[in-house]
Amino acid sequence: MTPESIHRSASSPVSASARRAPRIAIALGVVALLAAVALIARGSAEDSDKPGAHQAATPGSQSADPAHSNAAGHTGQGGPEQDRPEPPQFNGTLCWEDLERFNDTVTLETFREWAAPLLAVKDPLVREYLKGRLAELIGDDEGRASEVLGWAREAPPAEFKLLMAGLRGSQVLPKVAAQLTSLGLDESLDLGRRAGFLDELQRLPQLEPATLEKLAHFAKDATSGEAGWVAARAIGRVMKEDFTRTGNAKPYLDKLLTIGAESLDEQVRYLALEMEMHAGAPLDTQATARLAKILATEGSDEVRQVVAHDLSFAQDKKQALDIYAKAFATEKDLCVRWALFRFAARAAGKDALPVMAEMALTDPRFQGNYQDFERLYASGIVDFNRIWFSLPTDDPHGCLHRHE
Amino acid sequence: MTRPFRPMNVLSTLALTVGLLAPALALAQQPASPREAPAFKAGTCSVEGLMDSIRRGLGSKSEAYKLYLRTLLRESAVNLPLHELQAAFEREYDPAMVEHLAAALVARTERGLEPEAMQAVAKRALEDRDPSLRAATVRALRRTGALERTGDLFERLVRDSSPEVRMEAATNLVEDNLYVYGGHDARAADTAVAAAAASSDPKVTAHILGKLMTGEVSAGSARKLEQLLGSDSAEVRAAASTALGGVPAAEMASARQALLGMYRGERDPGVRKAILQSIAQLGFSGAVPELQRLRGVDPSLEPEIDAWIQVLNMNLQDWSLIQKAKQRLQQAR
Repeated sequence: MTPESIHRSASSPVSASARRAPRIAIALGVVALLAAVALIARGSAEDSDKPGAHQAATPGSQSADPAHSNAAGHTGQGGPEQDRPEPPQFNGTLCWEDLERFNDTVTLETFREWAAPLLAVKDPLVREYLKGRLAELIGDDEGRASEVLGWAREAPPAEFKLLMAGLRGSQVLPKVAAQLTSLGLDESLDLGRRAGFLDELQRLPQLEPATLEKLAHFAKDATSGEAGWVAARAIGRVMKEDFTRTGNAKPYLDKLLTIGAESLDEQVRYLALEMEMHAGAPLDTQATARLAKILATEGSDEVRQVVAHDLSFAQDKKQALDIYAKAFATEKDLCVRWALFRFAARAAGKDALPVMAEMALTDPRFQGNYQDFERLYASGIVDFNRIWFSLPTDDPHGCLHRHE
Repeated sequence: MTRPFRPMNVLSTLALTVGLLAPALALAQQPASPREAPAFKAGTCSVEGLMDSIRRGLGSKSEAYKLYLRTLLRESAVNLPLHELQAAFEREYDPAMVEHLAAALVARTERGLEPEAMQAVAKRALEDRDPSLRAATVRALRRTGALERTGDLFERLVRDSSPEVRMEAATNLVEDNLYVYGGHDARAADTAVAAAAASSDPKVTAHILGKLMTGEVSAGSARKLEQLLGSDSAEVRAAASTALGGVPAAEMASARQALLGMYRGERDPGVRKAILQSIAQLGFSGAVPELQRLRGVDPSLEPEIDAWIQVLNMNLQDWSLIQKAKQRLQQAR
């Protein structure tokens, strides 16, 4: 993360963790992700609206999962002192007198005034309750949603988050899409607040062409900062939803590839290109060729790794394998090479083995990896997901924590 | 009305309320009008107070408030006296309240406190005379580490005399495997297969097997699944067929043989569709010749076979992508 981006995050109603989420998602494998989901399920609050909680990383992305690392012999077990665990310490909870009366009698008209003291005491359980209660008060009423959006123009950061969460939980979001877009692109507002408005667009079922055009233009503009990053994520999330429903990702993908190729902000390029791997939309030859060009010209190692992942969705397997082979030959970075190597298998399965064998000849550090893949395919496994989980290690080249 | 809280020390309360609520505090003893701002005061949570709040809250129209109370009890559980919580659990007979209290006890064990809290819940799941209370306690064990801590509890629960309890136990097995273990835990998957095979309720067996990730099951579990292909119940045969599609590499050849062997003799179209799906899953593009050979067996399933062949020929390498592509193909038709 660049110093510039830290500054942006600090000034934004959208949390820094929201911005980090996709980076984390690509860093985690499926096991780690599901383990996280399991912890959430076994833990406390409903967490479906937390950034990253519902993002699925695909196998082949790096895993930080200790179980998988253990399988590779990286045990890292502690010494004898860990045999004497400290008694667990727990945070206390508070029970609020009059919350029941608040719940029974609050209306949209009194909500802001009555909720203010509760918001101020920072009780996380009450804060979650307030979000849910506001959503219930908004219901599916467009007029009420508009009123809440009006409050959000001026609200301080903590209340802004509450108001937007209430809108998110209501059933009315698609009805105020135009208003959200307009607020998100309103230059009279600070960029952090605009990011907060644009962030809600990710929950729409589709983006109209004019809205998509405006968002893409904004996302690509280097002066948009955090809000541009959020706009790119919204395009990607809607793409996934619309693709699942209609089977058509092309309008969104075109815009994301343009952002990925042209944005001056590395993190925006990374994110724009990362969204394809979450959607899993098949790439036609034209989109594949555009990615090949990005792979050849992109300066960031991390962005090139994401492009390598994206290319595994190419419909034309031969085209993809040719791109992987050429890129591997000229690539200097070990971790990008590892991405090209393994995603070649994800693109074409055992048909990729000759290309992978050639890669291992070019760079002997991959000979052990080649033997692993060859052995697993010979055992009859066909699913890349299962190949990935059967590898002796998911981090043979020390790429997992390289940038931490 | 019972006070929902036990007052905490005065300074803490003041720290939370001073400056914000002073005008309201002056009026706290008078009946409040609906337009008057509530006089929020924070206190330490007690079992009795929480139970009173939850009992009243169950009648609320606000789902947000009910969720808040449920979460508050669960989060407070580790700081409440165990004996009070356990006593409240044991004397409670309202299913909703029992479920809340059971979840609180389970939360204590889950967060590293005494194992007997969860054991008390498991005991009631097996022994309470009221099936709705047994079902409620089973739900409280859902998406927790209960599979690891309760021995053969689930094999016994799927044989409960009540269909509601059996189905709740089946749902636990499905959801625990998926959400707690991510579908990649051999013991959890084997426990689910053992319970599915132990149940004589076809709906329960089908519910467990139809959604189970079987990539880590043992050879013994794989054989049990193959045996279930011979069930009298079509829904069990369909679910076992589906489950066999995901077995580990060492069991794939045997599973493929078992599925291919039964396709011709099978009469139920739903089971046949499940078999076709698992043959596709076990072989990907390598399954195309086998699928082509099955085209003539049942003309009504030729479109299904053709759809699989078309999708497998895309040479996708990830089962989830293949499933999505098949879904899109069917939507387009």
